[in-house]
Amino acid sequence: MSAAATSVLLAMSAPPYWHCGRTIRQVSLYMLAGLMPAAVMAVCNWGLPAARVMALCVVTAVLVEALCQKVMGRELSVDDFTAVNAGLLLSFLLPAAAPWWLVMLGACIAVTLGKMAFGGLGTNPVNTPLVGWAVLFVSFPLLMDPNAMQLATDYADPLIRLRYFGVAAAEAIPFTDLLLGRQIGGLGAGQAGALFLGGSLLAAFGIIRWQIALGFFLGVAGPAALCHMLDPALNASPFFHLCTGSVLLGGFFLATEPANAPSRPLPMFIYGLLGGALTIAIRKYGVYVDGTPFAVLLVNLLTPLLDLIRPKPFGARSS
Amino acid sequence: MKEVFQMLNDPRFHLLYGVTQRFSTGPEPQLARLNREGFKLVEGVTRKTLVHPRMRLAVHPSPLRGDAFSPIFGRISEINERSIFVEAVEPTEEQRQAAENVEKNRVDLLTLPERGAELGMILKGLGLNTRSLGQHCKTLIINALNPDPGVTWAEPMLLTHLDTLKAGLEVLRRLSPAERILLAVPREMRLHHHDMEVVHVPSQYPASVNALVVKAVTGRENPDGVGIVGLHNVWSLGRVARTGLPLIETVLTIGSLEHSGNYIVKEGSTIGELLHFANIELKNGDTLVRGGPLRGESLDRLDRSVTKGSTGVFVVEAGTIPPMQGHSPCINCGACVLICPARLSPGLLSRNAEFALHERNRAEHIECCLECGLCGYVCIARRPVLQYIRLSKYKLAQADAAAKLEELRSASAESAAASGNASAAQQGGA
Ligand code: SF4
Ligand code: SF4
Repeated sequence: MSAAATSVLLAMSAPPYWHCGRTIRQVSLYMLAGLMPAAVMAVCNWGLPAARVMALCVVTAVLVEALCQKVMGRELSVDDFTAVNAGLLLSFLLPAAAPWWLVMLGACIAVTLGKMAFGGLGTNPVNTPLVGWAVLFVSFPLLMDPNAMQLATDYADPLIRLRYFGVAAAEAIPFTDLLLGRQIGGLGAGQAGALFLGGSLLAAFGIIRWQIALGFFLGVAGPAALCHMLDPALNASPFFHLCTGSVLLGGFFLATEPANAPSRPLPMFIYGLLGGALTIAIRKYGVYVDGTPFAVLLVNLLTPLLDLIRPKPFGARSS
Repeated sequence: MKEVFQMLNDPRFHLLYGVTQRFSTGPEPQLARLNREGFKLVEGVTRKTLVHPRMRLAVHPSPLRGDAFSPIFGRISEINERSIFVEAVEPTEEQRQAAENVEKNRVDLLTLPERGAELGMILKGLGLNTRSLGQHCKTLIINALNPDPGVTWAEPMLLTHLDTLKAGLEVLRRLSPAERILLAVPREMRLHHHDMEVVHVPSQYPASVNALVVKAVTGRENPDGVGIVGLHNVWSLGRVARTGLPLIETVLTIGSLEHSGNYIVKEGSTIGELLHFANIELKNGDTLVRGGPLRGESLDRLDRSVTKGSTGVFVVEAGTIPPMQGHSPCINCGACVLICPARLSPGLLSRNAEFALHERNRAEHIECCLECGLCGYVCIARRPVLQYIRLSKYKLAQADAAAKLEELRSASAESAAASGNASAAQQGGA
């Protein structure tokens, strides 16, 4: 007995000794799986250029992250797939015809400014891919405009139609086209049906917080429905708003990045609602046709405030 | 809700396992290791002393801590600051005689007139810890849930060891001033007793944490005048009441991924012998846990032993959970916040602790943490969240003690200066 006792090397650790089994890498892989339908649909609709942009973006994001970690003297942690995730999400917002340098620049900025500059995963105050997107969007508006880039296509840009040709023209686009991603927009952001599928599965598995996604979509649909009811000739239906631009991508995948979203259920829901409502406000009154990315960036900044809404801790004496 | 959408989809968290077999008897230890921290040895007990079962070896100065007894026929092989080691030997005639004498001196607890603290003293003499037996409360709740996931003795205790429990309850009624004693059992268990007030409470971990059982029963958080005792303690009381002899056993679950069983084992049994007895083999890299899998402690050696308070011994096989890596910063994923039954922000608490900002944790109500361990269970970064929280609590307690001492010092210095009676005051302050 005692001979056996000394020959075994036991691992010491801290409680709890059971674990749910989820790790950062596993969650990233789930996220990637959730994005896969949209990636596949993007290639179906836009062909190889879409695959090129996605691959380039992902590779750049990973390499830049590895480089940053080297320079910062950190342990390499690119094997947690979070950079892959950020790269893929960024590529979803780009036009399929974006030039290579634009893609690489975007990925580079997203990872450096949107993540590593603050100290790495989970420390960034705003969503990582959106930082890259915002810089590109502001610096190269023309190249970032899918409508201007995607000339060789039969698809239409529903939001441009809505803004410049009116509701009737916009709603002339068949609903199924919107769902199948046959619309001009970010290469992945427009794959409405696929994103909905992936996103709702992730929400059901608890990988992304359903409170945020639900809040976001209600925030979009609520005001949109109200406007639509008041004047259907001027305002598109809520379904139109949900399926266009990057609303589904934003609600399921961007707004839900947990590090810059509130972490309690009620604040999460409010955060989602605000993000959704902001999207509609920008679409209706702002200069941008798709308000989602900016709306998400803005609510990201509200997170610290929303986090102040918190219940009294268990049994705490009210002071 | 949490279970459906979130991270607790592990069926083991439902603290009802359908286990109803009577407890098996554990092994007769070859080596017993008894805790003696703070104990005073009984006169005549030294190295080489021959001992017999239930021979009193050491006494604790606190009236609430039970005396230490030898669990076996043996010889004391070593005594150090922390432990007494007893090696099993073939008993001599003299030892047998002594053991028989012990058997003859049974105490019939249920006919004794003593109540309250006096009864407490008698129980102490029978090896029972009475500290957590609800001596200062109006309502006393018996927590009859399995304390941790994986621990399975509560159900069989309730169903098949009822006589022992009833005897224990009888002693408890005399010991505790409580006007009401309630038995909190899992909601799914349709248990009714005419002589016991039964309350049904939720049974999904962390529901078994004492504070949450109290909440489930009374509807209030940390109410005054409510005490809670574990079912384990009632069983111990009952065991002593029924045998009339000092307590040298405890009930625990011995479990690994595949095996699990409930045993009545001798106090001081070493973990190595218990695992061997339960046919659980250890491999390199396994984690050995004394206590429950969520709240226990990991051990580095097989010659550590179990005590009266141990709820279980578990082996967590290498590779069944993601390993904890050294440096794992919090990534703010919020999983711990969603799961925390105390409605705290464990991630934030652990980050503060990590950077030694313990004072900040006061504002975060770190004292409300129930130490359920769920934050670490769901942490996708595999941070030792609970460990950080405990560290912070410990540091804060230290700081409080230091502050108090400082206060006393300055107060005594003042009074010393005022009265001139310096030496007496100084002594009071120290
Ligand atoms: S151990 Fe963690 S989850 Fe449990 S109460 Fe404490 S902080 Fe909350
Ligand atoms: S679960 Fe872990 S990584 Fe996530 S917020 Fe809590 S401590 Fe941080």
